[in-house]
Amino acid sequence: MTGLAGVDRALGDEAALPRDNGELVFEEPWQGRALGMGVVLLERIGAPWPEFRRHLAAAIAARGEPAGESPATTYYTAWLDALEALLAGRDVAGYGTAGTTTSGPSASGSSAVSKSG
Amino acid sequence: MSAGHGHHHHERPASAVELRARALEALLAERGLVSTDAIDAVVELYENDIGPQNGAAVVGRAWVDDAYRERLLADGNSAIAELGFGGAEADNLVAVANTPTVHNLIVCTLCSCYPWPLLGLPPTWYKSPPYRARAVSEPRAVLREFGVELGAEVEIRVWDSSAEVRYLVVPMRPEGTEGMSETELAALVTRDCMVGTALPRL
Repeated sequence: MTGLAGVDRALGDEAALPRDNGELVFEEPWQGRALGMGVVLLERIGAPWPEFRRHLAAAIAARGEPAGESPATTYYTAWLDALEALLAGRDVAGYGTAGTTTSGPSASGSSAVSKSG
Repeated sequence: MSAGHGHHHHERPASAVELRARALEALLAERGLVSTDAIDAVVELYENDIGPQNGAAVVGRAWVDDAYRERLLADGNSAIAELGFGGAEADNLVAVANTPTVHNLIVCTLCSCYPWPLLGLPPTWYKSPPYRARAVSEPRAVLREFGVELGAEVEIRVWDSSAEVRYLVVPMRPEGTEGMSETELAALVTRDCMVGTALPRL
């Protein structure tokens, strides 16, 4: 399994995991699960980290910094965008053709759900 | 240990993005691409993958490999990257070596900057105002309170960390460790040794 240090290296600065003085920031359990889901999925389908990183960086750029949303929420929402974009790009799990999402991160970003309240 | 399932009691309705995350996980699980247990294992590992073992590995290598030690002291970032450490926020790591006449101590007087990719999370005392102030004003007394008695001939150098530069103390290899392996040596290197508030012991 890819260790956390390996994930940090793979993501680099531009797509770095949200942290608070070293500690991973998970404001809600789904954020940690999203991270874990990505690590397990990449390993399972043999997708290289740079490919995921490109999707993630694009999704982060597309989302920007929505007002009223915490950085960790925005980051892990972009993380989901990136996972879906990766699946679409590889035509895995029904994504890409008949999938639940359309194509790239910008498309899923524009149609994405927003946090209510 | 975490429970084997992602089902939690909800005191409030799940947010839309949370529902989306769950739906994606369910879809991937259905296709056999992820499993709840595998995700749990990653989350648990990452939440606990915070400790000084990376820094200890760096010091262990420096103790057995003089060329590595020189690279570490000359360019901390490159040297820790050789062992696979670093990444975001590890920028400008400066390793400072203790010698018979110099003892190094790390502090962050402004807040709690810390070389976490190597040492994990800072201890509470590191973040406390008394430590942050006294490490600078009376380091010898602070060290004594930590149980480190230094002779008058030993100069104490205090390094003030910042967001830009973070320090790692490379302690002296203890005597009597000649036959030990790199791994055995690394096990002697505690967090406090690499902050400078302790000395490695057999």
